[in-house]
Formats: sequence, C-alpha cells, structure tokens
Amino acid sequence: MSGIRLENVFKAYGDATVVRDLSLTIPQGEFFTLLGPSGSGKTTTLSIIAGFTMADRGRVFINGRDATRAEPRERGLGMVFQNYAIFPHLNVFENVAFPLTVKKVPKVEIAKRVADALEMVKLTGFERRYARQLSGGQQQRVALARAIVAHPPIVLMDEPLGALDKNLRYHMQMEIKEISTRLGMTVVYVTHDQEEALTMSDRIAIMNGGVIAQMGPPREVYERPQSAFVAKFLGEADLIRVERQSGCLVGPGSLPVRAGEDNGSLQKGQLFLRPEKVTLCDPGTGEAGCTLRGKVHQVAFLGNVIRFEVELEDGTIILSDVANAAGIKNFPVGAAVDVTWLPEHARLLED
Amino acid sequence: MKGTIGQSKVSRRNFLVGAGTLLAAPYVLKGKALAAGQVVVRTPGGAYDDIMRKFVYDPFTAETGIQVVPVAATVSKLLAMFKANNVEIDLIDTGEGPLITLSRMGALAPIEYDKWTWSRPEDVAPEYRRPDTVANFVYSSVLAFNTETFPGDNHPKNWVDFWDAEKFPGPRMLTDMAAGSPSLEFALLAAGVKKEDLYPIDIDRAFKMLTELRPHIRKFWDSGAVSAQLLSDKEVVMGCIWNGRLQTIIEKGAPLNYVWDGNMIQVQALGIFKDSPNRAAAQRLVDFMTQPDVQAKYVAALRYGPTNLKAFDHISADLLEMMPGGPKSRELGFVQNTEWWEDNRDKVNRVWSRWILG
Amino acid sequence: MPLGPLAKWLLLAPAVALLLVLFLTPVGWFISASLMELGSWQDIWDEVAAVMGTGVIVRSIINTNGISLAVTLLTLVIGYPVAYAMTRARGLTFTLILVCVVLPYFTSTIVRTYAWMVILGRNGIINQLLLGMGLVDEPLQLMYNRLGVLIGMTYVLLPYMVLTLFATMKSVDGRLLQAAAGMGARPMTIFTRVFFPLTFHGVMAGSLIVYILAMGFFITPALMGGPDDLMMAMLIEREVELSHNWPVAAIMTIILLVITLSLYAVYTRFSDSSEERLA
Repeated sequence: MSGIRLENVFKAYGDATVVRDLSLTIPQGEFFTLLGPSGSGKTTTLSIIAGFTMADRGRVFINGRDATRAEPRERGLGMVFQNYAIFPHLNVFENVAFPLTVKKVPKVEIAKRVADALEMVKLTGFERRYARQLSGGQQQRVALARAIVAHPPIVLMDEPLGALDKNLRYHMQMEIKEISTRLGMTVVYVTHDQEEALTMSDRIAIMNGGVIAQMGPPREVYERPQSAFVAKFLGEADLIRVERQSGCLVGPGSLPVRAGEDNGSLQKGQLFLRPEKVTLCDPGTGEAGCTLRGKVHQVAFLGNVIRFEVELEDGTIILSDVANAAGIKNFPVGAAVDVTWLPEHARLLED
Repeated sequence: MKGTIGQSKVSRRNFLVGAGTLLAAPYVLKGKALAAGQVVVRTPGGAYDDIMRKFVYDPFTAETGIQVVPVAATVSKLLAMFKANNVEIDLIDTGEGPLITLSRMGALAPIEYDKWTWSRPEDVAPEYRRPDTVANFVYSSVLAFNTETFPGDNHPKNWVDFWDAEKFPGPRMLTDMAAGSPSLEFALLAAGVKKEDLYPIDIDRAFKMLTELRPHIRKFWDSGAVSAQLLSDKEVVMGCIWNGRLQTIIEKGAPLNYVWDGNMIQVQALGIFKDSPNRAAAQRLVDFMTQPDVQAKYVAALRYGPTNLKAFDHISADLLEMMPGGPKSRELGFVQNTEWWEDNRDKVNRVWSRWILG
Repeated sequence: MPLGPLAKWLLLAPAVALLLVLFLTPVGWFISASLMELGSWQDIWDEVAAVMGTGVIVRSIINTNGISLAVTLLTLVIGYPVAYAMTRARGLTFTLILVCVVLPYFTSTIVRTYAWMVILGRNGIINQLLLGMGLVDEPLQLMYNRLGVLIGMTYVLLPYMVLTLFATMKSVDGRLLQAAAGMGARPMTIFTRVFFPLTFHGVMAGSLIVYILAMGFFITPALMGGPDDLMMAMLIEREVELSHNWPVAAIMTIILLVITLSLYAVYTRFSDSSEERLA
C-alpha cells in the first residue's frame, strides 16, 4: 500500500500539546493540504511525517512501511521548505543535483535528471546562478525542482509560497498543481492561506489546537463546514444566532428560519451562510422562512463583487456579496432591506 | 606628536599581539600628573620597588617631604622620551649600559657630587662613579649548580669545568642576547683567557666556544625569572645566574650552590635626565640613596652589593661572604666592561642572530 | 533599517580615529624618524640590503611564517570541534566551555607560561606521569624547542579561532542542515557538503586572525622556545631594546607589516568573492 498513514500521533513540548492523537490516511497521488492558523499543529504534523520531529506516541506509515523511527534520509521523501532552504554555497545545478549526489547517482544520470527538473520548472539556463542572484519566484522553482528531481513518490511542502507576492503565488500554485498531477505525486502541503488550499487541494484537513477540525474536498469543507471555526477559517461566513421554539428555528426579530439538513436535534445554534449565497431585496418581498429584516450598514465595492453589510435587528452584521453584473440593484446605506437565501444553502451549526 | 611618542612601541606591539591599543593610554596620561615635591623614578619594578620603598623612598620622604613615584619604563621608552623632547621621568635606575647610551646622547645631567650632604663622593669606589652616573648597587653572574646532581666536592668549580660536558654531564643554561649580553666572557674564561685580558672580547673565539657547548645548553635565558625557574625545576643542572635570584631560590630550599670563581660583577646605576622637571629633587635622592647605612640596608635585602665602600662596615661578616662586589667576589671575579658592550652590542647582536639560526 | 553612506562613516569614525591616533601615527612616526637617522635613500637602501643580506631576517621570516602556519592549523583542528560543541551546548555546559575557552585571558601571558613550565618541564607533571607509568625511560623534551612554542601559542590563540568559528557556526541556518538530511544526506555528508562549506569563511577569518596575531608573537616563543625559534617580533624587540638600532628595527617592522597586509589583502579578495555568493 502506498501513500501515508498516521495512527494516533501525539506530540507535546512540555505542557503544550501540539498534536493530539491525530490519525489520517493520504492515498497515493492525492494532493493533501494541512490548513490552519499558526500554532494549530500543521507544521509539526508535516515535520513528524518528514522525520525531523519524533512523535511521542502513535505510528507513521510511509508507502506501507512503518517509518515511525526512521531517519529523515531513510524516508525517501521530497521536500520544499519554507524560505526554500537553498544552499547558498551551491549554484542552481548543484542545489537541484544535491538529492542525487548524496545517493551517488552517476554523473551523466544526474545531469540529465537535473536538466529535466529545471525544464519542468522553466529554469533552464539558470544552472550557474547562486540563490542571491535569483528572484523569489525563481528560488521557489529551484526548491521545487530539487524536491522532485529524485522522483520521490511523496513530496512534502511547508508553506512554499508564503514569501511570494499575490500574483506570482497564484501562478506558482497552478504550476505546482500541474507538475504534481503530471508526475502522479502524493503531495502533503502545509499552508495557512485558505484560498491556496481551496485552489490546489484534492482534500483539505483544517487543523485547530492539534486536532483535525474537519477533513474533506475543498468544496465540501467550504460549503458544508461542521463548525463555526471551519466556517470562519475558510473565507467569509455569516453566522446568525437562532433557537428552536416549538419545533421551528427562530432568528432575530422572531422570524422563522429554515436550514438544510436540519434534523431538529439542536435546540439552539448558529445559522451559517456564505455571503455569496445571501441576496438582498426590498422590504416585504422576501420569502417567509428564509428571510430576515435589517438595514444596510455599509457598501463596499470590491471590483467583481459588491459587498453589502446589513445590520439585523439584534445588531448582527450579515455580509451579502453580489456579483457586479448587469442589472444589479443598488441599496444605499441606511435603506431597509430583506435578507434572503435558499434553505439548502443554510446550515445549522453548534455553538 | 607630543604625547604619542613615548608609547609608539607599546602600541605597535599591542597591535601585534592583538591586545588593543587602548592599553597604552595610561602610559600617556600617567606622566602628566607631576607636581612639585615629587621625583619620578624609573625602576626595574616588582619586589625591587617594595624594598626600595621601605629602605629608601619612605625615609627620604620623611626627611625631605618629597614624594617618590616609581614607574616602569623600557630602555627604548627612555630613548624615545628623550628623542621626542618629552621627558616625564626624573631619575633613571637601570643597568649601567643603557645609562651610558643615554649619556653619549647627551641626555643626562651631571651628578652634583659637590652638593652632596648625606654621602661622601670619595666613599664610592672610583670605578662606580662617572660624571653623569653613579652606581647604586652591583650584582654578579655566578656559576650555579645542582647539589643533588653534583654532591660533595664533585662539582664544577670554574668555567673550564662548566664547558667540560664529559666530566660534568647534564643540561646547562647561559644568557641569551635578549638578556642584554650573551655569556661571551665565560666562554673566553673557559678557553683559558685570563680575566685581565677579557676585553676587548675576541668575538669569534667566544662564539666558537659557545658552538662547542651548544648541544648541552637547554636554554639561553633572557630574564632573571626564567633562569631561576630553570634551575629550581631542575630543567638544567648548572648555569650562570644573577646571584640575587639564586639566593632567593636557595633560601626557599632549592638544592643549589655556586662558586665565586669567574663571577662577573655588573653595575646598576642612577642617572638624571637633564631636562627633567624635578632635577633638584632627583639630585637629593641620589645623594640620600648613596649613604652607607641606607645602602647597606637595601643591598642586604636585595642580595646585591654596595657601591659605597663604607657600607661594608654596616654588613655582617657572613652576609659579606655572599655579597657580590664584596672582597671574595672582587678577588675571584671581574667587573663587566660596560663601555665595551655599549660599543659592540649591535655587532654582537648580529653575530648572535646568525649563530642562533645557523 | 538600512544606513545611508554618511551614517555608516559616522559610525566608523571613532574606530578610524582610534586607529589613526593610536596605531598609524606612532608607527608612521617611528618608521620615518628611524629611517631619517640613516639619511639619504641610498643609505636606507644600503641598510636594507645589509639587513636582508645576513640571511638572519630571511630565516626569521621563514621561521615566523612556519610557526604561524602550524599554529593556525593546530588552532583550527582543535578549535573547530570545540566551536561546534559550543553551538550545540546549552545552559551550564555552554558557560563551562566558554569559560574554559576564554580563561587564558584572565591570567597574564607570563603567569600562564610559567604554568606551562610546571606542566611540560623536564620534571613537570606530564613527564612525571609518563615516567611513572613506564611509557618513557627519559623525560620527553616538551618545551624549550619548537614543540613548546606550538603548544604555548596554540593555547593562547585558540580563543580567537573558537570564538570566530562559533559566531559563524551560530549563523548557519539550521534549516539547511535539516533540508540536507531530508534529501537523503548522511551526517558525514551533511558536514562535508553543507556545514563545512557554510562555515568556510569563518575558517578563513579565524585562520587569518590567528595567523596575523601569531606573526607578532614574541613573549611565548621567547619563554617556551629553543634558541632557534627566533621570530620576527623578537628580532625587532632586540634591535629596539638592546642594539638601539631603530633604523633596522623600522625596516624589519615594514617587512612584517608588508607581509601581514599582503595576507590581509589576499584574504579580503578571497572573502569578497565568497561573500558575494553567500550574501
């Protein structure tokens, strides 16, 4: 069996538990992302997979073999490090060749594979340069080429794009994704950038406080978060306090609300909506059961989207993102509006 | 330029050993604090200062109210002071050789023998008196040996024996050029030259003798402390050494003894910078220091010999036996010819370097 | 915050002033005043030829550089592991190593050297031990020869090497070593291919400092060496103190200075080109 499997991995530094009984399975060929705020345990988890950190308890399987106690060099992983970790005393060729030279691969073979790797990251012709002579993006490509040159089945990436500016970052996301798909690599990717995670991953594990808060494909975790934390971490979220009165959910202004997949078990909670699923209409025109009343608090022009901030009767602020398309209806600040949505877009979350 | 010159060598050297040039600053500042009623004396430093303070400086201050400030200074610093016209020292208490150098440069004021009140100039032996220097004590380089290695009467008795490595085997020591002069006189005595005929020294002949003995010489010493260490650690079993140093380690229990035969009497002297700020006070201190009873006390404490012959009257008979420049020392030894060394030191230094590296 | 060129010069000013007042001026004065004693250029040249002609100075230059080179290599071989241990050590262990390394500087050269005599002498601790264990029949000659000079100077100069190397090693990015391990390198390979190259400019800097300092030594070789361990500074010292031959001392000083500065120039060229890559 290939891929990675963690079983009840636990790691603490003194009193501080960093990873708490974490188990996960990453099948061969998957682009898997560990997403979370700093201190959530995602980097430690990656480090345990890489072998730089030893877990206190639990086991690590790599390609079916128990690698819990194996040295990093015995694990046969490719790695892209935060800040790239390019050797400053070696040029691009020597850097990329490093994983092959230490394995005593014949020179001719090295030359060929380094050339291939550099071509793949579009750095052909930069062989003799040193790190300080390269731009951030080029350094990133060197790091990438070095991670894949030995054709490792698994590549670990620790916030590899953190130091790049936004445009370049998007560009590199696409390239990394393309290369990993082309080579059929298993990628374990660590980031704190939710957009990056959503763009690239086959599956995302959102970590918080050393445990996985939720794990699933990007669309699922984005649209069907199981907690307010996941909802808020993956982009903007509207959360409305609701409670159940005689079987029905009631929101601010004692208006009834409905949510998809509500089995009636929760007595109170938060109604979750993505801002792009929330629409505004003139007062009194919203459909009962999925409408709340409020007034426009602020309007922000974001280019492709116009963002309305609506204050509900209990003071809750609701965001509504409206595509900046032809025929868009404008609501001035202070205008009374109805806030509506489709019931299947709303989810009831625990507090 | 003024003020930086005196320490030019010091700062260069400090740079070379990396200790930082700032260390030299106190030397520049020190000399400036001269007030009336002071004499600044260049001394060899260390224990010497303590003894001189007890028997000379403090009594002098008690009698005259003049403070005595001992300072350390190398000969080259004294030369630099004079050349840079920035004299910060009044009285120089050093080997006669450097004083003759200074004297020849015209740096020294005449000793005012006619104004002496405490001492009588004629009591000072004539060979210890010069117009601008007067000797304040003498010391002697003697042949010392280890009494465990050479027990009873079976020990080297003169420099001929010292050169005989078959009869008296074991590592030896002699002086290095850096000590002031290498042991050329002893080499010539070993070659059979009479002590009256030592000067002018036959340099080539002396070095031939040194070459002969060189395999048996563990170390050419360049400071009194090293010579004492070598003997007391039994690093060498015989060697020439200053008698004062030798007495000190013998009294500490080292199994050592010495012979007076062929001992070389060397002269320490006083001189006064002619441009010094406290000349008059310095003249008085010279006068005070030369008194028979004062001299008797400090030479006894230092294990050296007096230059005022009347001082012998204040010294006990058994101490007289071991006193350099005393009757026995003068009978069996000779006085080093400082003038010859001043004329020839540069030349000997060159021959020495070539010999050492050759 | 990056500094403008003016601010940089202002920060350097005290150091430059100190160097000027306390080093360059006295040395300049010493050399010019000494050479002026000789008179014309022809006389100066004749004296130079005479000094070089005896061969003594040449032998001494060879001695000085030979000893300096040996001491540099010894401090490097001994100092490198010590400095590395310091980068790994924490708390009390670190303090202990540091104290041991800089301890020589709490005692004077003279006291330190006499301590060596007690340890290395013919009847010193080491020889007593070796004789007692029956490993040797005769006391070993551990000092008053070249070996003594090397032991003494290595000890005195070791801190310069260790502290320079320590600073360099401390600045090595640990993630690079981790990266190398992650890429399959064994500890020995990580050392030879990554750690050592990354600390190489520290090795060069430390070696240069030790070498240049060693060139100017004279107390330790005088006390611990044999008669032929004559270094240049000792020759200069003797010309100044004994012969009072300042012109010759000045010429020797210039020779020593020229050798030292040339070494420094070679070093800066070297380090410029390597810094360029590492910056």
